[in-house]
Amino acid sequence: MTATASAPASPDAPDAPDAPDDEIHPAPTGVWQRLVFSRDHKTIAKQFLFLGLTFLAVGGFMAMLIRWQLASPGRPVPLVGKVLFGPSGGVISPAAYAALFTMHGTIMIFFAITPILIGAFGNFCIPLLIGARDMAFPTLNMLSFWTMFASTATLTASFFVPLGAAQAGWTGYPTLSTAIGTPGPGQTMWIIAIYLNGASSIMGAVNYITTIVRMRAPGMGYFRMPLTVWGFWLTAVLNALFVPVLAAGMVLLFFDRVLGTTFFIAGSTIKGGGDPILYQHLFWIFGHPEVYILILPAWGIVSDLLAFFARKPAYGYRVTVWSMIAITALSAVVYGHHMFVTGMSPMLGESFMLLTMIISVPAVLLFLNWLGTIWRGAMRTRTPMLFCLGLVFTFGLGGLTGLFLADIVSDIYLHDTYFVVGHFHLIMAAAVLLATFAAIYYWFPKMFGRMMNEPLGKLHFWLTIVTLNLVFGGQLLIGYAGMQRRLYNPSVYEFLRPLLPLNRGISHAAFLLGAAQLIFVVNFFWSLFRGPVAAANPWQVGTLEWTTSSPPPHHNFDRIPTVLHGPHELSHPRTVKRLHRDWLAQNEPLPADEGDPPAPATGQRDGSR
Amino acid sequence: MMGSAAARRADGNLRLGMAVFLGTWVMLFAALFLAYAVVRIQAAAWPPPSLLRLPRALPGLATLILVASSLTLRARLALPRRLAMAMALGALFVVLQASVWRTALTAGLTPGSGTYASVFFALTIFHALHVACGLVLLMVVAVRAGTGRIGPNSSALWLATAFWDFVTVVWAVIYGAVFWL
Repeated sequence: MTATASAPASPDAPDAPDAPDDEIHPAPTGVWQRLVFSRDHKTIAKQFLFLGLTFLAVGGFMAMLIRWQLASPGRPVPLVGKVLFGPSGGVISPAAYAALFTMHGTIMIFFAITPILIGAFGNFCIPLLIGARDMAFPTLNMLSFWTMFASTATLTASFFVPLGAAQAGWTGYPTLSTAIGTPGPGQTMWIIAIYLNGASSIMGAVNYITTIVRMRAPGMGYFRMPLTVWGFWLTAVLNALFVPVLAAGMVLLFFDRVLGTTFFIAGSTIKGGGDPILYQHLFWIFGHPEVYILILPAWGIVSDLLAFFARKPAYGYRVTVWSMIAITALSAVVYGHHMFVTGMSPMLGESFMLLTMIISVPAVLLFLNWLGTIWRGAMRTRTPMLFCLGLVFTFGLGGLTGLFLADIVSDIYLHDTYFVVGHFHLIMAAAVLLATFAAIYYWFPKMFGRMMNEPLGKLHFWLTIVTLNLVFGGQLLIGYAGMQRRLYNPSVYEFLRPLLPLNRGISHAAFLLGAAQLIFVVNFFWSLFRGPVAAANPWQVGTLEWTTSSPPPHHNFDRIPTVLHGPHELSHPRTVKRLHRDWLAQNEPLPADEGDPPAPATGQRDGSR
Repeated sequence: MMGSAAARRADGNLRLGMAVFLGTWVMLFAALFLAYAVVRIQAAAWPPPSLLRLPRALPGLATLILVASSLTLRARLALPRRLAMAMALGALFVVLQASVWRTALTAGLTPGSGTYASVFFALTIFHALHVACGLVLLMVVAVRAGTGRIGPNSSALWLATAFWDFVTVVWAVIYGAVFWL
């Protein structure tokens, strides 16, 4: 059994009866090949999803501990304190606090959002939405997941080594992250974990780029792709270009710690030391595109879902696409705005400021297109739509606060305060996270063949959107009042002592936010086993994944579809008149009017409309 | 195995995928060279007067050997023999590298003796790791060629050759930038 399953694809394989008009590896029969070392993009997507959700819970729990310390500095943590912080009597020690905020950031960015949004939904959506049977390189895809798994194993193990996990912040700046700043092996394991995580992302990027360029179904021109696919594609391009730069930084940091090189350790003129700021350059050359790596899929998903649930074609499809492309290009040349206070030349600083400000132009176009899409739409406020609307709100708020940080004059004051934390979380932990939830609620029926519970989903949304705006809005306030980030106990500073009640309020909102996620956990697992069985097309939309069964067969499509029009063929008067429904599948011909000349079936230039 | 159209498609996928992969490696080494440039611009003297100057002859020989190894992969020889020769030359390159490191260490040029040494050790060690990966890749191809599972036109061979050429080119750049510049 095992031998046949791993053999190269053969068109005569008995496992895939209707499939083989195209290359596809045969359906595996052994349990290991099917569930563990699977090469099927749908299974790998689920593996990424479960891995990411696990770490989302871990990272969220860490956020709760951080908020506990900020609300009641030095008081023992209830319930879990004795177990987690036994030696200090249940109190979070300064070192443990540093490890908490470091690992919270690292886990949320690299081990929660990346695997869920890019790993799970990138894998699940790309082949299904472009009409392919699988990724271009199924084995590489499997390897990508297991590299990510090795990375998470390394990171998890780092909690249990002497001196504990990494403590240099999620950015890992030297000199904090050198062997002098953090002498324990935890920081070294952090470096290895980030390197492996990057390797996994690069393997994914190679797969995504190749698959989208070469494996689109006939008729699926670039401007007929769902915007979701555009998002994943541009993300993959940024991953391929800039994750290697982070990898280079990690390699040099590793050598500094392990071999004793001095790239990031400032020395005397005679000894010829290195430059800690060099690390910041390498980190942010990657780090700024990383923000877009995470949000581009979110933008793509939301741009599609708003159209689907407003029952209208996406407003300005091409403008949205070109905006995303422009932002992708600009994201590569703005990283210096993270380093305004490093003593960079004012001229360079102003250039970075200008370039950063220019990003708001395509970003606003994107935003206006979302508003145009929902304007006078026949809104169906199902759970995925609610989360998308929540994203539109928080992204607007997060984007506006970004302007203050892009401007040198205000950034010098706001740098390293909770204003940055609030801004960053409004984009990453609010906008990206809301898109992640929208994607889960939306594609859950296709992934698992069952529907999620609507009332629970809506309750989850309302509790989440209210509390997260309280938390991150509150962070903007205390940051504006001058509270720096990463302080173990802000109340030791007299000028920050009046902020304690506000900090308590934020923490209470954060605990509510955390508790609200339990509703999602219950909904997820209940629906997984007991949810009502999903139809092939429960949302009544026309993209290709909904033309096959829920969940799709191993080979996705019995026959590779031929695409006739764009992804948002909604509420076309002729469809409504002839078919008595308001949607049309991408591979379904538009019903002809009497007297119309027969529509050209293979025109690729008509884009989305 | 597959229909020729499907095989051609798979081959095209492989070429594009490898091109993207090599692009990421170019970015990785470009970032390392950027780091080199930044620390070098800030150095008062390069190399610092008290330190050993890096040898040029032995690494030069190593460069020729690596180039020869890349060329061997294109020689008109039986595939297993071709691969064996390329691997032997690659291994010889690693041995020469080890001897250069040894010379440096015995002369007191250790990774901790400032950025001059840091650049030398970091770039050569990181590159040597890629040579090691390339050797493993060639080994896999050689084993499969030995059992007759792949021929001279296989995509696996093309892929290994592309990676090996990349490692050679990167070495040539490192040799010029670190040992001569």
